[in-house]
Amino acid sequence: MSTVLTEIDPEVAEALRAAIGDAHVIADRAARFHRARVPAPFPVHRWAEHVPGIVVLPGTTAEVAAIVVIANRFGVPVVPRSGGTGLTDGAVPLRGGILLDLKRLDEIHEIDLENRTCRVGAGVNMLKLNEVLGKHGLIYPDDPASYPCSLVGGRIGTSGWSLIGSRYGHTRDLVLSFTHVLPSGQVIQVGDGGGAKLSKSSSGYSLKQLFMGHQGTLGVATEATLKLYDKPEAELSPFWAFESYEEAYRAVGLIVRANCATFAGAVIFDPEKVAYLRRDDEAYIPQPESVRALVCAALYGNEEEVEAGGRRLMRIARDHGGTYLGDEISQGDWAARHDRYATPLHGRTRAGQVVPMGWHCEDASINYTAVPAVRKEWHEIMARLCRASEIFDDWGIFAYTNGPTGADYLVEIDVGIWEQELDDEAWQLWVNAKREFSAVAIAHGGSISACHGSCREGEVDLVPTELGGVFDVMLTIKRALDPGNIMNPGKYLLDRAYEEVE
Amino acid sequence: MSAEPGAAPGRARPDDPAGVEGLASEFVAEWRDAAYNCYSSGHKFCREVCPVMQVTRNESWTPTAFHANVVAMEKGELELADVAEDYVNCTQCGACELRCPNTLFTGDFYRFRTRTVDLVRSMRALTVDAGLDQPSYARWNLLTDERRHEPVLGEAADGAPVGQDRVRDWADDLDLPTGGATILFVDCEAAFYRTSVPRAVAQILGLAGVEFGLMREQWCCGGPAAEMGYVDQAKRFARHNLDDWRASGVERVIVLDPHDYITFTEDYPRYFGDEFAGIEIVLAIEVLAELIRDGRLTPSVSIDRTITYHDPCRLNKRKGVWKEPREILRAIPGLIFKDVDHVTQWSYCSGAGGGLSIAKPELTAAISERRMGQAAELEVDTLVSACPWSERPLGAAGESLAIEVMDIHELLAESLGIEVGGSRGA
Repeated sequence: MSTVLTEIDPEVAEALRAAIGDAHVIADRAARFHRARVPAPFPVHRWAEHVPGIVVLPGTTAEVAAIVVIANRFGVPVVPRSGGTGLTDGAVPLRGGILLDLKRLDEIHEIDLENRTCRVGAGVNMLKLNEVLGKHGLIYPDDPASYPCSLVGGRIGTSGWSLIGSRYGHTRDLVLSFTHVLPSGQVIQVGDGGGAKLSKSSSGYSLKQLFMGHQGTLGVATEATLKLYDKPEAELSPFWAFESYEEAYRAVGLIVRANCATFAGAVIFDPEKVAYLRRDDEAYIPQPESVRALVCAALYGNEEEVEAGGRRLMRIARDHGGTYLGDEISQGDWAARHDRYATPLHGRTRAGQVVPMGWHCEDASINYTAVPAVRKEWHEIMARLCRASEIFDDWGIFAYTNGPTGADYLVEIDVGIWEQELDDEAWQLWVNAKREFSAVAIAHGGSISACHGSCREGEVDLVPTELGGVFDVMLTIKRALDPGNIMNPGKYLLDRAYEEVE
Repeated sequence: MSAEPGAAPGRARPDDPAGVEGLASEFVAEWRDAAYNCYSSGHKFCREVCPVMQVTRNESWTPTAFHANVVAMEKGELELADVAEDYVNCTQCGACELRCPNTLFTGDFYRFRTRTVDLVRSMRALTVDAGLDQPSYARWNLLTDERRHEPVLGEAADGAPVGQDRVRDWADDLDLPTGGATILFVDCEAAFYRTSVPRAVAQILGLAGVEFGLMREQWCCGGPAAEMGYVDQAKRFARHNLDDWRASGVERVIVLDPHDYITFTEDYPRYFGDEFAGIEIVLAIEVLAELIRDGRLTPSVSIDRTITYHDPCRLNKRKGVWKEPREILRAIPGLIFKDVDHVTQWSYCSGAGGGLSIAKPELTAAISERRMGQAAELEVDTLVSACPWSERPLGAAGESLAIEVMDIHELLAESLGIEVGGSRGA
């Protein structure tokens, strides 16, 4: 029996069609269902709860602004969606309304070879952009796990994190400025000062980051000017094996602190992650059982510097118990970094039965000194969860450097969830676990998320705890900029902004 | 005999909801786990390589959506009628299958491969069985059924030169025998529209001393009908062709069209099982590359062109054939060959395949324009393809860019000093 969905008011639909044309306003049921999904799914049996009333695919900033004005006029929610690859449900409508799909904004407007910038639409994908930039010897080095499919607009809306951010910075550093449609429909240019291509200004308030990472609650970016780098002459990505997590942890700390200018990032794989990867025959099976943890590092730059840095890191790793896994595994696994580490086919029940499991990734930002303790406590949470229901599966933990000094790491635990068997009871177990993961991160002086955002069920409950007075400022800003609460309502507990008014 | 969609025995009708629901349930049961493997992955790495997605940016027409529909149907949230039309938006190029992490990195171990093309074909077959097929597909397949060949020259009721009596016209002056152990199979587009392609292949084979004949009575291979969901019709056509081959003792079929190659190497063995044993299907392009390698063909006429090569999807993405065409092109003197590697070309397409050009010619045109734009960046004067079906839309898109589209067989023939003749299209 299919669910009866909340339909959009015909008057709203008519206004949208008049604004952007019939062809780009879609009301059919399937199209609306598809725009309710993101990679880490909500319980599939509650899919219909997240379905928008209508889908619009604007082609210009002016059309986006017109849509937002219409939403204000009729008091209808607007939920921006670009790639729909985020892991905190930013693009998932909680209250129906207008789904603002940005994928048609996929034009590369300008490549400025002298100033090393480009201006692109929010619907441009980084891999596709780099195919074009590569012809000019340039690269836009924003490299998330979703690199082959996420889009620039979503990177801004979530303030994304990049695997090679220790060398090039993260989305907030790489996006110099952008065109932003406010919740009122007003269009502004946000950057460092007034110039679109500047990376530093002291003029006025620094608002760029305010309009990044808001998960669509403060408007929507439609076009961005991006910072470009020379395409690296050389990439080196050594993987080392260790016989204990402790050894790997010490070594990664020293590798990061080796002071190599070409250092782009390091990752540590814990024993549970190595065991997960051993479930197939294409990853680490050839490695002896004594291998319990892995570290990989990436160096990007010119050949001379990468080579010298590589020699230095090899020496440090070797001196601290690391065994180099060889060029083939190192190059292959780094090249496959977007594809390899979470696959439904590796899902297992306790009895070892293969079942298709969805990938749920919980992340936090944690200082180096707290990583082992957080890791331990997170696995304990997972162990309890797996005992409670066999639809859950612990896929291990990665920790990635956030920056070149090694002060803090993106720590993520990957969890398999057997969606086919998910019900309300199991979902509640999962939500509780998410709350516990977040509480551990905060207790250790960390942040609920380094990468995804923290507005999903469970984790979001602790956002006021983490942010304290800053959360109150968020409420003030939200109310000031979006008095009608039309931009992605229900996210980040921001409805409280309006409760206070009443 | 004509095939009225939905009228075959055992088919449901739209006005028979219980019948439609039963067929849909069987379909969902068959595709459930594959759909969840995609749904649960959620990576969507297939999206930016999808030619339809590239020009429409419509998330409803992606491999991910095609799989998610099955999950939604299982959950009772979507019905067949909600999604039937969406499935025309696929060229069956196979890029999504290659790019899927489930195929790329773990598929071998689990003996699993993402099969979007099969899913699309199955869904289209279901819509035909349920009487919900697309009018454009229904018309095309009705005409094909009547004429035994696809209506590649349009619908003119009288005098349209697509028909059984015209299927060998392309070879009129070539004096080719009928039957024999080896035959050359010529697809509808090449037999009636771009006749220069079969003429080139036939004359090159003749020059190399390869003995071959033509079928006694060749019908359309049936592949397009299968791609559009008209499975019964596809099987009838396949049966006719197999019987014809058997009747004249055919052991080897040389195929010049990548679409036929898929049909003969994938569909026919599935239809006929052991009955198909003993028939070897070979690609003309592989035969020709081998003849060059063995010194039995030596291209010697210099061709003064700057070219790039378009990897036909069904060769490159679905059959892994990309070396031989490059081998042939590199053997042709005079060419300046600006190649784009075959992996980059996973995301290239002409848009002509999988029935897209029949249901949505405007999307085919847009995809071809995009492809020719990529060729134009290389500053070439010629794009060489190895698929007759791609050459019509690519050629149209190339006109404004002053880039000519040639078939690799035409080019090779020219370099072998052959006066090809025939037509390169209307």
